[in-house]
This record gives sequence, C-alpha cells and structure tokens, in this order.
Amino acid sequence: MIKKRSKVSSEFSTASMSDINFLLLIFFLVSTMFAVEKGLPMALPGKGSKTVKLKRDNVLNVQAYANGSIVIRGVGPVSVGEIKSVIERKLEANPKLVIVIETHPEADYGIMVDILDELRLARATKISLRTLRTSAE
Amino acid sequence: MKFKTRQKIESHIPTASMADIVLLLLIFFMVTTIFKLEEGLPITLPRAESGADQERERLVHIWADRFSRISINDKLVRTENINAIVAAKLEENRGLIVAFNVDHRTKYLLVSDIMEELKDANAVNVSFTSMYEED
Repeated sequence: MIKKRSKVSSEFSTASMSDINFLLLIFFLVSTMFAVEKGLPMALPGKGSKTVKLKRDNVLNVQAYANGSIVIRGVGPVSVGEIKSVIERKLEANPKLVIVIETHPEADYGIMVDILDELRLARATKISLRTLRTSAE
Repeated sequence: MKFKTRQKIESHIPTASMADIVLLLLIFFMVTTIFKLEEGLPITLPRAESGADQERERLVHIWADRFSRISINDKLVRTENINAIVAAKLEENRGLIVAFNVDHRTKYLLVSDIMEELKDANAVNVSFTSMYEED
C-alpha cells in the first residue's frame, strides 16, 4: 500500500505577526525613557578670554562659607530662601550688576548650586564663580 | 413595482493593516530608544528649581562623589587628566557641554579644580546637573 502523500503547505501564517509586533512594541514603550537631563547652564571664561575690569558698584559678592552660612556683601548673612528677593531688589536698582559667587573650598558644592539656582530664579544673567580666599590663607 | 433591495452594511473593521501600523510604531521606538550606557558614580544630585533641559547629544558627563573620586566614561580619572580627555572630546564635537554630575556634599575645591581643567581645555560650556525640586 502506498501511503498518501501529505500535503505540505508552502505558506506560513502571518496572523500572529501583529501579536509579535505588539509584544515588541510594548517592550520598547515600557523600556524607553525620555530622560531629559536638567541642569544649570553656565559659561566659563575660556583660555583666550580677557579679564574685564568692573566698577566696584556693579559687583555684588555672595559668599558661601564652609559652615554652610551665606553672606551677601553689604547685606549680611542670609538664608537660601532670602537670596532671591534680595538679588531681585539689587538688580532692579542696578541692572548692570554682576554677581560673583564666592565659595569656600571646604564648603559643600550643594550650597553653590543652591545660590546659583536662586540667582537664576531672580533672573540674574551676569554671574561669575570664584573660590573664596579667606584672609588667613 | 420594484422594491429596492436593502443594502448590506458590513460591520467589521479591516485589521489587515494593523500589523503595518504596529510595525511602524515599533521601528520608531527601536530607533529612538537610547539605553543608558554610563554607570557613573553613586551620587545624590543637588536640587534646583530653575534647571533647564539639556540637549543629550551635546553632553559629556563628569561624575564626582563626596569622596573626591572623579569618573569620566566609567573610568576613574585624576584631576590633572581631565584636560586631555575633554580636549579630545571637544575635537569631535565643538558644541560640547560638560555636565557636572556632582554629589551635593562634595567639597567645592574639587569642583573648582575640575573647572580650572575645563578652562585649560577650552571647554567653556558647562551645566550643573540638578534634580527638580518639588515643593
């Protein structure tokens, strides 16, 4: 007896294609992170940049000390929350004001960022960073 | 008199193009997905309200933790080597922004040393990476 030849279909089913696609899609949807990085932008003076002489009246020093205290020259010690209003008032009186953040080398980086954040909130654009040199050094 | 034959309205939605639509969406997500490549150092970023979105393509990260370790491209580096590394990256991408992923408890001395190195390398655009502060 001859066995009946079984018919082999040459097509493969594409019905499950969309399911596979869906699974892959869901995987990428879930694993995709549109991670936007937030940061406080700042432009450093480059190698070739010239030093600019400023009038004393146009400079405002904000000093951060190692113990965490913040002092605005001519105003006195302030808390982080007070900086914004003080700077806003100063900028209103003198729009040409350049604000210099002087941070003590032993002070936490976080304090400097706190001050920078407050200055940005007060819409200060001319900001300079310096390391505080105490008179003892 | 002839009656008009009632029109048969088919009630099913063709799903044949579904696979194509899904495939297109899939390709979109496959192309746009970027897997985070850099591990960095375990740090707690400072919080800030005024943080602005930074363009990912232009960023180069410098990680520094409170034990004064500095990491670039997942390699611990010494302060004096930053200049050369960043200068090489600046050659590839002129519009480079150096992102400071620095722990908020790090001493400012380390940050200012890194900034001095960047000035020497002429990488003047920096960004202090922050977490968004929620009130």
